[in-house]
Amino acid sequence: MTASAVPALKMQRRSLYPGWFYAPAAVVYSVLFLAPTFASLYFSLTRWTLFDATFIGLDNFAQFFREPFLIQGLVNTVIYAVITSGLKVVIGMMLAVMLTSQIMARGYLRSVIFFPVLVSTIGVGMTFTVLMHPTLGMINQTLAMIGIQGPGWLVDPKLALFSVALVDVWKGVGLATVIYIAGLVAIPKDYYEAARIDGATKLQNFFYVTLPLSRPATATVITLSFIGGLRTFDLIWAMTKGGPGFASDTVASVIYKQYQAGFYGLSTAGNVVLFILIAVLVVPLTMFLNRKQGHE
Amino acid sequence: MAGLELKNIQKTYGKVEVIKGVDLTIEDGEFVVFVGPSGCGKSTLLRMIAGLEDITGGELYIGDKLCNAVEPRDRSIAMVFQSYALYPHMTVYDNVGFGLKLAKTPKDVRDQKIREAARILKMEHLLDRKPGQLSGGQRQRVAIGRAIVRKPEVFLFDEPLSNLDAALRVDTRMEIAKLHADLGATMIYVTHDQVEAMTLADKIVVLDAGVVQQVGSPIELYQRPTNLFVAGFIGSPKMNFVEVTVEVVDGDSITVSSKDVASLRVPATSAGVKVGDKLTLGIRPHDLVPANNGAIVGRVSLVERLGNETIVNLELSSGAAWLAVLEGDQPLRVGESLALAAEPAKAILFDKDGKSLLAPLS
Repeated sequence: MTASAVPALKMQRRSLYPGWFYAPAAVVYSVLFLAPTFASLYFSLTRWTLFDATFIGLDNFAQFFREPFLIQGLVNTVIYAVITSGLKVVIGMMLAVMLTSQIMARGYLRSVIFFPVLVSTIGVGMTFTVLMHPTLGMINQTLAMIGIQGPGWLVDPKLALFSVALVDVWKGVGLATVIYIAGLVAIPKDYYEAARIDGATKLQNFFYVTLPLSRPATATVITLSFIGGLRTFDLIWAMTKGGPGFASDTVASVIYKQYQAGFYGLSTAGNVVLFILIAVLVVPLTMFLNRKQGHE
Repeated sequence: MAGLELKNIQKTYGKVEVIKGVDLTIEDGEFVVFVGPSGCGKSTLLRMIAGLEDITGGELYIGDKLCNAVEPRDRSIAMVFQSYALYPHMTVYDNVGFGLKLAKTPKDVRDQKIREAARILKMEHLLDRKPGQLSGGQRQRVAIGRAIVRKPEVFLFDEPLSNLDAALRVDTRMEIAKLHADLGATMIYVTHDQVEAMTLADKIVVLDAGVVQQVGSPIELYQRPTNLFVAGFIGSPKMNFVEVTVEVVDGDSITVSSKDVASLRVPATSAGVKVGDKLTLGIRPHDLVPANNGAIVGRVSLVERLGNETIVNLELSSGAAWLAVLEGDQPLRVGESLALAAEPAKAILFDKDGKSLLAPLS
């Protein structure tokens, strides 16, 4: 045996053994993700019921993009995702800065901020639907007490989507805050001390130290909340069912309505479109957010 | 440039007293090293001077200004951190110029100062890099650059070499010494490495448990330690100690002996010492020489032959472990008996409280 053959043989033996450790995960991934994905890709090209499927090529996709309210759903989805992830980043960061500084009842306040994350989305949706009622809701009644006539939060077509997005932010900002807190406490205090000696004010500390050094946390929050926003369905359904009219419809709620109406092929095509939409927006976004910065 | 004056400086965390009344004068342009074991309070004291820790009691003057309540940025200090604390998202150029930027220094002046600091530290070629792309030694240099660019009156170094490998540590140590000579600024340097302290300092402050044990020049601390702690801490390898009994007390010397040491007459102040008292004898490993009729006899337990010198571990008959550093290569064997003599003038006696009984300098 030559000297070079020995390592080659070892490599071969080594490469097979760890493969068995991948196998269980690979099976689960194939059954739960790959198979349904490819099956839905196929079914999106058919007109199907529970009992048979007729191949119709790209007709479902053609019909999907012909419907004007579906396009509005697509636009709404992107608006919703941008608003919710943007607000979660800004508010989450502000809350995390507050909850990592020396304030009273810090531990208690951290729990309070996180609490909405634990509550059922449907429950939150129903509660806020009541709170946002144009005449009887507590929000508008409170506004009325100080002489302001509150808007029709969920009944005004121009406002409904934004109202639901606000509720989504209220419910989800706790998670963003927790991610930011983890990011902020990981920043070595030497950086702040060095900045302090250099004469940095609190605001300069934030912009020159905290903000750039919490970029990994920002990337995580943006990615998670943006994907969450693009897929949103339950809160929209619980609060407006896509209404008034189609004003707050998102891709997911449109898909659900088509499914309810028995257009299985069309709704499957909608799912494929949503999948591609998420991939097209999120992949470059995460590549941008996670680009190398010369960090250690 | 400015000197410093510490008057009865104290620091407590709750009920724990960390710094117990430190009085210290640091002259303008002096290189002072705070040295001591982990937890002795040396870094806390430095951070109090920097303004990063509140001063619980006492007064701190930088120059003529009482600085107890002065913000760090207004103390005219710069600090080099153990971790370097270089901002990973900024280039070397921006890191060095950060303090100037905050001070709203005009861009062209800033640029000139950054390039001047880079020239002094020979790091012009690194200015566009980020800290993640630098070696440990280069980062260290950038951290020093960030300090010198602000032209502070006092430089503070918090164990700046402890993250470097041994060879680089020696090089950087020499660079810091050269920097001090070039800038002539007051520098306060914290380390637990007494070799760094001995080589860099004009004045060493030895701390233990929040109390200053001795202040003096490196040679003074080496030759005339005031107590057992300083004697044991300064010098490498550390001083050998053994308990002895007083045989004879003269005016300017004490003759002692023990199971391990045949009669040895040591120059010492003898006030309050009487025959039969128990004292501690300290002799540095470098002050021992092989001699057939030497006063100290032990069994060789380990021999480290370094070529230019031989480090011998000895076990004395009482069981005490001693070290001797002998000149040249000594062909000794483990297990053999070795007799050593010590020049009495270099031996030091300590009383039962650990205070040295050094004879006053003539």
